Amino acid sequence: MKLSEVIKQFHCHVYTPEFAIDKEINYAFCADLMSDALMVLNSVKDDRILKESILITGLTTNQSIRTAEMLDMEVVLLVRGKIPSLKVIELAKELNIILLSTDYTMFNTSGIMYQDGIKGIIYNQQW
Amino acid sequence: MVKEYQIIARNYDLAGHASSDIKRTLKSLNLPWDLIKRVCAASYEAEINVVIHSVGGYATFDLTEDAITLDFYDDGPGIPNIELAMLEGFSTATELDHANGFGAGMGLPNMKRSADLMELKSDIYGTHVHLVFFRSRL
Repeated sequence: MKLSEVIKQFHCHVYTPEFAIDKEINYAFCADLMSDALMVLNSVKDDRILKESILITGLTTNQSIRTAEMLDMEVVLLVRGKIPSLKVIELAKELNIILLSTDYTMFNTSGIMYQDGIKGIIYNQQW
Repeated sequence: MVKEYQIIARNYDLAGHASSDIKRTLKSLNLPWDLIKRVCAASYEAEINVVIHSVGGYATFDLTEDAITLDFYDDGPGIPNIELAMLEGFSTATELDHANGFGAGMGLPNMKRSADLMELKSDIYGTHVHLVFFRSRL
């Protein structure tokens, strides 16, 4: 699925319009506590998986962006209508991370994405 | 190559800047993706621990032909029970830490899982986390 389709599907606000949104998205992971994301996503066996992933979170602080940076993820989607501060948007731009938000809840976002064929990342995920 | 970073307690905005610089350094050297990922995850966890649990400290990064070594030092108050702290999910983090996305109780277990060698020393005067990542895994 193209990221542009995700943006359309979830009526996303795009906070980093300078970055291209035609990339392919095949995986996603949800977490509000970043250690949980680091633990699972760090076990992934192929870097292509994280390149084609979305980090879905309700955490609007710098740390969601930092976590994506540590994992080489390129897209962060804020759920439940959360609005990031300017400093968070600036950090995302500095690190070339696409920052989006949607009014959908985390559960509904995940459910719809799963239905659309986006896979959830599990421990030791293989390509 | 040796680098040193100051880590400020409770500064959630700056938390992660040391690990970010370490990542940039490793990427610029074209080291293997898996190694970079392991170093960065452990470094980030250790850095966050100093931010949320201590009164402040510093980190050192040392890159040699054989290994990458990270040391995190803080000035206390130390880990009261290391055995409990090593359990996945055990956390003494506060509500404020949770609001900042920390305190899952996975910090030390994550470091142990990511590093090839981990040593932890702690008393009321401070904590020292020593992490080694071999460039060609043993």
